[in-house]
Amino acid sequence: MGSEFVLFVSATVFSIGALGFVIRKNPLVMFMSVELMLNAVNFLLVGYSSFLNSLDGQIFALIIMTVAAAEVVVGLAIILTIFRTRHELDVDHINILKG
Amino acid sequence: MYSLSWLILFLPMAGFLGLAWFGRYIPRSVGGWFACATVGGAFVVTLLQLVQLYAENPADRLNHVLTLYPWIVSEGFSLNVSILVDPLSVFMLLVVTGVGFLIHVYSIGYMHDDPEYLRFFSYMNLFIFAMSLLVLAADFFFLIVGWALVGLASYLLIGFWTDKKSAVLAARKAFVMNVIGDVGMVIAAFMIFEHFGTLNYVEVFKAAPTTFSSNDDGILLITFLLLVGAFAKSAQIPLHTWLPDAMEGPTPVSALIHAATMVTAGVYLIARCNALYMMAPFTMYLIAAVGLLTALFAGSIAMVQYDIKRVIAYSTMSQIGFMFLAVGVGVFSVAMFHLMTHAFFKALLFLGAGSVIHGMAGEQDIRKMGGLRFVMPVTFITFLIAALALSGFPLTAGFFSKEEIIMNAYHAEFGNFVYWGLAVIAVGMTGFYTFRMFFYTFMGNTRSPELRPHESPRVMTAPLMVLAGLSLAGGFLGPWTHDFLSPVFGGAVPVHHEDAMLEIIAVSAALGGIVVAVAIYMTGKGQLAFVKQMLAPLYELLFNKYFFDEIYDFLIVKPVKGIGQFMEERAEKGGIDFSVDEIGRQVREVSRGISMWQSGKVRMYALNMVAGMVTILLFVIFL
Repeated sequence: MGSEFVLFVSATVFSIGALGFVIRKNPLVMFMSVELMLNAVNFLLVGYSSFLNSLDGQIFALIIMTVAAAEVVVGLAIILTIFRTRHELDVDHINILKG
Repeated sequence: MYSLSWLILFLPMAGFLGLAWFGRYIPRSVGGWFACATVGGAFVVTLLQLVQLYAENPADRLNHVLTLYPWIVSEGFSLNVSILVDPLSVFMLLVVTGVGFLIHVYSIGYMHDDPEYLRFFSYMNLFIFAMSLLVLAADFFFLIVGWALVGLASYLLIGFWTDKKSAVLAARKAFVMNVIGDVGMVIAAFMIFEHFGTLNYVEVFKAAPTTFSSNDDGILLITFLLLVGAFAKSAQIPLHTWLPDAMEGPTPVSALIHAATMVTAGVYLIARCNALYMMAPFTMYLIAAVGLLTALFAGSIAMVQYDIKRVIAYSTMSQIGFMFLAVGVGVFSVAMFHLMTHAFFKALLFLGAGSVIHGMAGEQDIRKMGGLRFVMPVTFITFLIAALALSGFPLTAGFFSKEEIIMNAYHAEFGNFVYWGLAVIAVGMTGFYTFRMFFYTFMGNTRSPELRPHESPRVMTAPLMVLAGLSLAGGFLGPWTHDFLSPVFGGAVPVHHEDAMLEIIAVSAALGGIVVAVAIYMTGKGQLAFVKQMLAPLYELLFNKYFFDEIYDFLIVKPVKGIGQFMEERAEKGGIDFSVDEIGRQVREVSRGISMWQSGKVRMYALNMVAGMVTILLFVIFL
């Protein structure tokens, strides 16, 4: 398992996440896509941490997971509130901040 | 006890701030007496200073500077907040706080029914503070601060009745005229600092004889610029037009500010700077000439006016003209003596006029008065005393001070025969207009019985009686004044009695004026009409005050207004307004374009972010 493999997997997962975020309309799925992107980065950090014999990457990965968890809590709460008030979940319709 | 002198400033200031901040929480009567008490306290402290000065040798009485704290300390310039106690400042303060106290007491009665009673007293206290600061300043800086503050207090008090349009306009006029003078003073202070490197009186006056020789350009310019301030404050030609209009304010204000104290600040300034003025004889001639001109000019106008307060206002200008004549011929302590007696009898005249106006329900036209001698006996007697003192009737206060001025106009260092002659004419006018006003007001039959004139309350008549006593006896303070002030002015004033003839002529001019007034106004209307007809063009000229206001309007106000209108139409609307509006409009256009990007579509934002990220990555990798 070489470093090219880690890079390739990470880039693929990240692209899937980015693509999902852009093309899906359901905020829950978009959230999952964001998680995919974060995990792609985590995978890269952990993989390179083992190649370079340094623990820094793993520490970063842990911090990112913590932040992602916190973010999910807030994000899900927002999504839930939006659904309760509007009875639908389509990001294209949620555009009241339009300039 | 010199260390107590800061109380003279502190007490009226405390009165002003106390009434301004807490006035609405305390009863009216308490506030009024509180204001009087602060001024009375300042008077007592001033008396203590007088006692302290007397405990010393005459030569040691000068230059007691009490430094409160250093205010500005920097390279080449330092300024202390300090107080100068010397015979001149104590003398002036005795007049300011003493007469000020009496007028405060009088105001309790006069302003009794005014809804903004306490605002009036807080302004009055502010004025006393400002005037004390002006007098006690130990350097030109605080002189100018006090100078500007009395202008402010005067502005506030003239325009006290803010719902009266003429009063507000008069206040503005007074302020503008005074600011012309302030500008002169400030430039003078700059020049003094340039030449002497300090603003401190003691150092400047000490260095003056070595820095300049007599009639140098520098000293002439400095003295002239100081004079501009003095002319504006003391209502001398050509900066006099504000004083008659200032009579729109309440009468105690006219008595305190526009007769007894503030308008004499110009005389005080010249007396204070006597060391500078003695080195500028050209300026001295100018002072004497302008003083005489004002005395004649204002006296002649006063002869035909019908508003009782305006007559007294022009008389004030005329009397200050006499004081300027005295300082102009170099007899400073005579000017200060006249300043004091004038403060007594002119304050009394104004307060008497106020009592009349109060009793006549606000009527100021002397044609509608008359016969008041029966209904207002106290006012009548005290007003008569003041009128006699003003016209220089023998043995009253005005007689002694004016006689000294007239004799010195001939005999003093810069005096000459022309000064003497013109001064005698002005004295004759004084007697005439004073008694014309007096007869109109008090003699004959009442012309407005429907107004039910009545005597004023005791709180108003008591100050009248005190001032009447001073107007009678004040003349005997002359020798004391000259003796007390002689250290400041470098020696005593020589007394001139050698020309009995000149003196007799002067006295008979005063009496002559009175007699003419009696002849015209006591012996029926027929002669009056005849005289009026004969002198109609002259009368017209005098009644319109030599058209000074109209000339200023034509020469200054109209062109300035024209320039203003032009600037408004061209520069303002076409230039500044246009560019400001255009900037705003363009910003709005641009931001409308930019706000297209904020579509509210989250997925579009995300796409843009990804695209941006990819672009940056491509740049990083391939470039």
